[in-house]
Amino acid sequence: MLRRARAWRVIGLALLAWPLAGAAHKSSDAYLFIDSQGGRSTLRWDIALRDLDAVMPLDANDDRQLTWGEVQAAWPRIDALALASLRVAGCDWRIDGHALERRNDGAYAVIKAAADCRISAQTALHYALFADVDPTHRGLVRLTVDGGAPQPRMLVPARLPALALVNPATAAAASAAPRPAQAGAANPAAAQTNSASGVAAAGLAAATAAAGAAAVPPPAADGHAPASFLGEGIHHLVTGYDHLLFLLCLLLPAVLMRQGGRWQPVAGWREAVWPVTKTVTLFTLAHSVTLTLASLGWVRLSSSVVEPAIALTIMLAAFDNLRPLLLRWRGWLTFGFGLIHGFGFAGVLGELDLPTAQFGWALFQFNLGLEIGQLAVVALVVPLLLALRARPLYVPVVLCSGSAVALLVAAAWFVERTAQVRLLPF
Amino acid sequence: MHRLGWWIALSIAGAALAEPILPRSDDEVVERLPPVVRSAAQPGAIDPDTAVAEARQWLDIARRDGDPRPAGRALARLAPWQNDARAPADLVVMLATLEQYLHRFEAAVRRLQALAAREAAAGRSGSASMAQAWLLLASLHRLQGRLAESDQACAQLQRQRVQPYADACFAENQALRGEFDAARSTFNGLLARNAQPGMRSWLLTSLAEMAQREGDHAAADAAFRQALQAERSGYTAVGYADFLLDQQRPAEAWDALADQPRSDGVLLRLAIAARRMQRPDAAALRDELHARYALADLRPESSGHDRERALMALDIDGKPPLALAAARRNVALQVEPVDLWLLARSARAAGDRGALDQARERARRIGLVDRRIDAL
Repeated sequence: MLRRARAWRVIGLALLAWPLAGAAHKSSDAYLFIDSQGGRSTLRWDIALRDLDAVMPLDANDDRQLTWGEVQAAWPRIDALALASLRVAGCDWRIDGHALERRNDGAYAVIKAAADCRISAQTALHYALFADVDPTHRGLVRLTVDGGAPQPRMLVPARLPALALVNPATAAAASAAPRPAQAGAANPAAAQTNSASGVAAAGLAAATAAAGAAAVPPPAADGHAPASFLGEGIHHLVTGYDHLLFLLCLLLPAVLMRQGGRWQPVAGWREAVWPVTKTVTLFTLAHSVTLTLASLGWVRLSSSVVEPAIALTIMLAAFDNLRPLLLRWRGWLTFGFGLIHGFGFAGVLGELDLPTAQFGWALFQFNLGLEIGQLAVVALVVPLLLALRARPLYVPVVLCSGSAVALLVAAAWFVERTAQVRLLPF
Repeated sequence: MHRLGWWIALSIAGAALAEPILPRSDDEVVERLPPVVRSAAQPGAIDPDTAVAEARQWLDIARRDGDPRPAGRALARLAPWQNDARAPADLVVMLATLEQYLHRFEAAVRRLQALAAREAAAGRSGSASMAQAWLLLASLHRLQGRLAESDQACAQLQRQRVQPYADACFAENQALRGEFDAARSTFNGLLARNAQPGMRSWLLTSLAEMAQREGDHAAADAAFRQALQAERSGYTAVGYADFLLDQQRPAEAWDALADQPRSDGVLLRLAIAARRMQRPDAAALRDELHARYALADLRPESSGHDRERALMALDIDGKPPLALAAARRNVALQVEPVDLWLLARSARAAGDRGALDQARERARRIGLVDRRIDAL
């Protein structure tokens, strides 16, 4: 009899093991059309009504027939969900209107919104729609910047960091005792008595998962855990062209020395170590100071000042390579300009919604990431410059032409960042 | 992979695939909502048993409607245990089942293997959940052409004496290897002892598919019909339709699918049948199919639908080179007989001798015997 009962249980599941042909392949997608012109962005966001219904009952009379009246009554709730599910630094979205669209997998709510902010290909879009109800959901973005070619981007929903931290279930569970493995799985009576501690167990599992302490290998298919702050730091240095260009301008003459008003190559690599170390250390010290001050909210500088100022620092550093004016004051210049770049990093960090609880740790990681990225660039560039330094063409081609190009690019950035026009494709 | 294609599709079709709805009154119905499973618990405060029960309800909806959305919601119910090494065994099996449904085969295999190791270490290999895990693992290995590993999983079922599953599990692999008579006698023996309709349908469908590979069309036809009489499963209906289309019997293929929910797979076979029958609605079906795939393709991630894409390129659009490319991508994910058969047919239609040889070589390495491929 026991054998039979078990066999029945397996029968119920057995057919699930059958490979299934004929399934539809359209998972849940939302469509975001973002158009950014100058300092203003508009958003059209299409979300399937059936997806919305899974998180908020839209169907007031519960007949599974959704009427236009029921949708209209739900707009405020839909708007609230949408606004809480997309975060773009500096963008304060205003709802502009609503519509309905039909696609071949059903009807979509259309939300139109606008904000006074600029969104570019580099802007981080934090997306949390349906993060708790469907991990296979995706936000498909079509971004148009200043009438250029549309750029597609795919957003994977993840809980917004600030929201995750106020979740009391996760916080409470962190101190709970581990759930006895496997309790109650085979015995319905045990499962009943266990359900009270199940609340804590669920949270604990989430906490364990977040800490990455899992022994079961996580499936590769959707490894979209939030990137570490260390990774963000590296990423933002390596993809922050303006910081890279500034660093490069500082490094170009580090393998040379001035003698009698002329550039001469240093004799050996040892003589380049001190200038390079000094330059990198001063830059690092300075931007660490302002990054910390700005992140703590003690000093605040508008990005409309910081961004053009960064361009200006590059112009000055490049110009100094061409017509040396600063000479032994160059160290101070490096430090002073590092202060300005620190504000730039702080702007990036602001977009990441640093968790207030582990603020210091996250800041440290981010800064460490910046330094790792920076050292990687130094390790890549300096040997190359050393190898080239004695060539007759080093000064005219590498140093002078390189600096001239940097000067021009930085000048273009300066104009872009003050006049809100687009001159360069990056 | 299709980065450029995606770029173009999203740019051009993103908005074009939508048409405005302009309701005339508040009472106008704008959407017929599918069923939902309202959770009994708050997110983050759900116990494993409730989570598994709700996930199973969502998966049942997904299977019935041929819709992956509810499967995503089922996954969300189990998300707290996604990386939990101590998750209950039935929950882990459910996660793997969902991953299989969403075509994340590798993830499902790794999850089940980790579970098997854990349960063996704890001396719990004999649980009902583990029986289900071995059955699922056996079919995943089979699906990916690892027949020896599949046999090992079947042997675990045998060790637990979970019948008729253990015997059927071995017979499936025998049938794939071309041990037709041995498999047939096992299937027939199990059929003689089992009255449960779902089980009979499964065994008869296995017999039908074997007869198809054996080249015994009459036996395949009879077994498919009996299977559908026992239980009208969507899987069997689609399999029978494919068989009938191969046999140039499109009108019967149409009838076989007439009562099925119009999932992408069903719609695809209906469109092929309609085209061959020169039905007046053939163009409309083809257009609907194209529109569905265009919308699905806006997402750059592969959703594992290259089998259907190949079939569409080959039998609807008449583009064998496209079909061959899709069939090749598909066999990187799954190598059931139907997948290699599709690769061989596409190669043949594209006049690509080398690709046909590759399909035969792949079958030989797996140990698969399919006389349809030999006869091409």
